[in-house]
Amino acid sequence: MAKKIKNAIPVVIIAIVLAAAFARFDFLPSIGDPDAPAHTRTSDYYIEHAVKDTNSPNYVTAVIVDYRAFDTMLETTVMFLAGLGVVILLASRPDPKARIIKPRKFTENREHLGAPAYQSINKDVMIKIIEPLILIYAVYVLFHGEVSLGGGFQAGALIGMVYIIDTMVSPGTISLIRLPKERSVALAGAGTFIYTLTGILTLVGGGVFLEYGKLPFSMSFEEKHSTGILMVEVGVTIGVMATIITILNAIHERARFDDDK
Amino acid sequence: MHSLILEAILLMALIAITLVVIFDKDLLAAVVTYCAFSFITMFLYIVMGAPDVAFTEAVIGVISTIYFVISLRNIDRRCK
Repeated sequence: MAKKIKNAIPVVIIAIVLAAAFARFDFLPSIGDPDAPAHTRTSDYYIEHAVKDTNSPNYVTAVIVDYRAFDTMLETTVMFLAGLGVVILLASRPDPKARIIKPRKFTENREHLGAPAYQSINKDVMIKIIEPLILIYAVYVLFHGEVSLGGGFQAGALIGMVYIIDTMVSPGTISLIRLPKERSVALAGAGTFIYTLTGILTLVGGGVFLEYGKLPFSMSFEEKHSTGILMVEVGVTIGVMATIITILNAIHERARFDDDK
Repeated sequence: MHSLILEAILLMALIAITLVVIFDKDLLAAVVTYCAFSFITMFLYIVMGAPDVAFTEAVIGVISTIYFVISLRNIDRRCK
């Protein structure tokens, strides 16, 4: 009986919170309302000044990597730390004496991860047709992100997806780039470092941190802004790509601990 | 008005998919259904006028599904 009451407590809490949320639901502004608080303070300034200030026709890119570049830098750092945390939790090898169960290798059950489809049309189609298309699209998204949708995060995720496909379709063959977990964590840190380096370069040029107009290159103001946004996007791309590969490596190399059943 | 009806349909689909994911005993089926959750969310973002977020959601939804599938190799597919 006591256990039943204990199990009912979370349900009751969720019900109370949901009731409180739905009771004040009409308080929220409706979608697309021009009088909503989010649309009256700063968005007019962004719409009027974004193209002149940042030379970027895409407002989303202008806000994310130019007006709020400091915010995005720390977001990239958070993502790098998340990848590091996953590696530490899943793939760190504990002391052999403290570990009773040996780590189960991921090739134990099957010879290759993609064994049923190995040496079949699946591999050929994946490697020869789909992977180049995804890579070309990733580069397009990266370099076109200033003008249209997308940007560093999506490009990095697409490149990471290509690595995942490559590892899963042909695990036996050596791919062009091998990234064990130590190197991929370092690469994720390098992506964050490129972002920060852009900010330091603007400091060298005599501006505020991440003020792209003060980059120490001999360019016009608009070109400096484009270059700064591109450098930041490249940093984000490398960071996201390496984080995705890091998490993949961590899941592959997961050690089994004593408290595993 | 039409977009409201579309949003309502998509949100209903989200609730249905969530219930399936929670109560499915086959974990692989639950993971693939969760990929459908991400897909419907992508359409919801497009209806709400945020194609950037929809793009990110499409890419990340696929990658998280791959992570779940790889993790399933270490545990049993059926839950008790």
